[in-house]
Amino acid sequence: MATVFKTLTNNDVASTRTLLHEAIPVTGTIVSGTYVGRENIKNYSHGMFQSVYDYPYLSSSANHIFDITVGYNSDSPLSASTSTQNAKKINMYNELAQVLVGHDSTGSILKFDQDGDIASGGQKINEAVFVNFARLLNKDEVKKGSFEIKLLTGSNPMSASSPLTISDYQGTVNYRTNSPAGEYGVLYTSSATTNSRSGVGLIYYQAGVAVITASVFSSNPLGYGNVVNDYCPFATDAVTNAYVPGGHYKGLITVLTASSISGASDGFRNRMMNVQFNNTTELNSTIYFCRANHNDFNYSSNPTYLSSSKIRVKDQSTDSPVSYITTVGLYSADNELLAVAKLSEPLKKTPESELTLRVRLDY
Amino acid sequence: MSYYKFNENDLFYNRIETNPETSFIIYSGSVYFNSRNMESGAFTNPILHVPDGYVSLYELNVDRPAGELIYPFITKDGSLTAFRTISTDAFNNDFAYGDTLTGSYPMSASISRDYLVENTTNKRLLALKNTINYYRYLSPQFEFSSSLRGLAEVPVNLISVPSIFYGSSIKKGSIKLKFYVSGTLVAEANDEKRNGELVQVGPRGSIGSGSVVGLALYTEGFMLLTSSVQLSPHGEIYPPIGTAASASWINFATTGSGVQAAASSSFSMTFQGVNYIPTLTMFAHAKQAMLNHSSNPTYIDSTTVSSSLYQSEITGSTFYEGALKVKNTVKTPYADPTGSFQKQTYISRIGVYDKDKNLIAIAKVATPVRKRETDSYTFKLKIDF
Repeated sequence: MATVFKTLTNNDVASTRTLLHEAIPVTGTIVSGTYVGRENIKNYSHGMFQSVYDYPYLSSSANHIFDITVGYNSDSPLSASTSTQNAKKINMYNELAQVLVGHDSTGSILKFDQDGDIASGGQKINEAVFVNFARLLNKDEVKKGSFEIKLLTGSNPMSASSPLTISDYQGTVNYRTNSPAGEYGVLYTSSATTNSRSGVGLIYYQAGVAVITASVFSSNPLGYGNVVNDYCPFATDAVTNAYVPGGHYKGLITVLTASSISGASDGFRNRMMNVQFNNTTELNSTIYFCRANHNDFNYSSNPTYLSSSKIRVKDQSTDSPVSYITTVGLYSADNELLAVAKLSEPLKKTPESELTLRVRLDY
Repeated sequence: MSYYKFNENDLFYNRIETNPETSFIIYSGSVYFNSRNMESGAFTNPILHVPDGYVSLYELNVDRPAGELIYPFITKDGSLTAFRTISTDAFNNDFAYGDTLTGSYPMSASISRDYLVENTTNKRLLALKNTINYYRYLSPQFEFSSSLRGLAEVPVNLISVPSIFYGSSIKKGSIKLKFYVSGTLVAEANDEKRNGELVQVGPRGSIGSGSVVGLALYTEGFMLLTSSVQLSPHGEIYPPIGTAASASWINFATTGSGVQAAASSSFSMTFQGVNYIPTLTMFAHAKQAMLNHSSNPTYIDSTTVSSSLYQSEITGSTFYEGALKVKNTVKTPYADPTGSFQKQTYISRIGVYDKDKNLIAIAKVATPVRKRETDSYTFKLKIDF
């Protein structure tokens, strides 16, 4: 217990912010294929989205990885009363759009924009797949420039080769800030083509939502709002994943119109080869520099410091006093003990030495 | 939206004490935590990447192959923050500013048992000397060295329990230790006096029953078993002692492998933790004749918004907003006409703001609560930390 208090000045207190990251790999084997009975995929009776876990979700050890859903807006050519879950797909698009893109001055919901430049119009993403990552993985935000997703392409999903890599190239410097949900970057298929016409999706860093245009599977990747062909069929029968020509494959348009959201999510999931991103957690710290000058803290009020009323560590009265610092206490202005910092080993303190102890408080 | 200030009678600060129970069973070289069955997965066995008896912090890597594990990393910068696995020397010399420092998951914890041989310098025991002496006010048994017994002069069975298993401290009076030989309970000890003394309490008439067999440090998470009294005629090898020895408390919780696995003995240890949860309870009042108007756009009858009579107008630099009709939401059993108009709202959420009017928390009700001018409600909000 200290009997002397030293007041911390402004020069003794510093605040810092450290960014802690985690590398999050999500392989395609987790997303589909490993658990044949799809025990790690949860579908709901409301049918609005599908949840993906890293292990059969009935186990308490399972972690929720992401939710997946599809949707289109009412202006899409796919929107028709004959489409399966037509209203629900429109609602899903609108729900995510109003949160992630916002409203215009008339209160109408804005559409997802290909290059993020909403004000200038441009190409809109009318049909999209949404991947909403769990906060457990996303933490404070996705690290800009680290998001990457690989999609299997080709006409046969069972033997698909040449994966299509989509990433937020230039995300560290070229991100957008005009979303009510925070910052977001544009997803491109190649770092060499990061222009206003080559975006195939958006990644919302703080919200942890990836929006991928459905036309990424089209033979014409620039066919936004105009999904014209079934170049890349989906295997929506995820229970067996067996190749049955004409039986289990559904073309892109068919998936988005004739399949339910869960069926379309199955199809997209089976096309996912890999997802990789780094998350970010902000660690705020205050550092207190506790300075013990040469004439400070050389004595102790510890009862063991005295032996027969003499200072134990002095043989002669002329000897310099010695103390061993083991603990630093931080007190309030009213001298109330707020925090205690312990040293890993005691530090010898004499009038010939000066110490500065760096105490870091994380919160 | 209106702001109301909480007064001192609306805020209550409490602390909830929880007592999670933890059990360990030690048998044949294995430790089982809370009788948990370690699951095997498609890629790893066990799925949590930690052996029996261990807990995995965060439990992020579930059934992931070795090359695909989630791991943390940090960039070396002026804050000098690093992982504890990186030494100060390595941090200073091996990494430049801007370099990436990586850690690894999972981090794990389990109980550990150390057999401390008498009359030798045991740093672990000496490190606890001041702490043990501090509790002398509870019992003279906490005297580290006395005429009764010197802890450095007798063999000590030191069991260390990481705080992740108990929280702030082990609950006094909750420790139960059981020693089985060939499935038969030969000795049981607990801290029934709640003063840290571990007293052998059974089985009735057993050798050494009623005597103090060890000490418990509740806050620090240690148990020191010191009794060498033979509990059973049974003898076998209790590691790390290489020769056959009798069943006694100094051999409690021993683990080993092969022929040294003490295969005829098993041990059980249960205790409760003390974990505090600070809570803040706030009472938000919706008094009579208050909060009966909404700024929600749907509160206005949309048919009146579009009519030219009520349309907003901008003339020059002046903005005129015409009268708007509030939607009549009064329930009536008839489709038409509607019920008599009353000002009413449906409260669906309560926002909590700081003194600078920054929204810091939102409480939502399960179903919207109808608020008429004659109604008065108090909403109870609770936040756990």
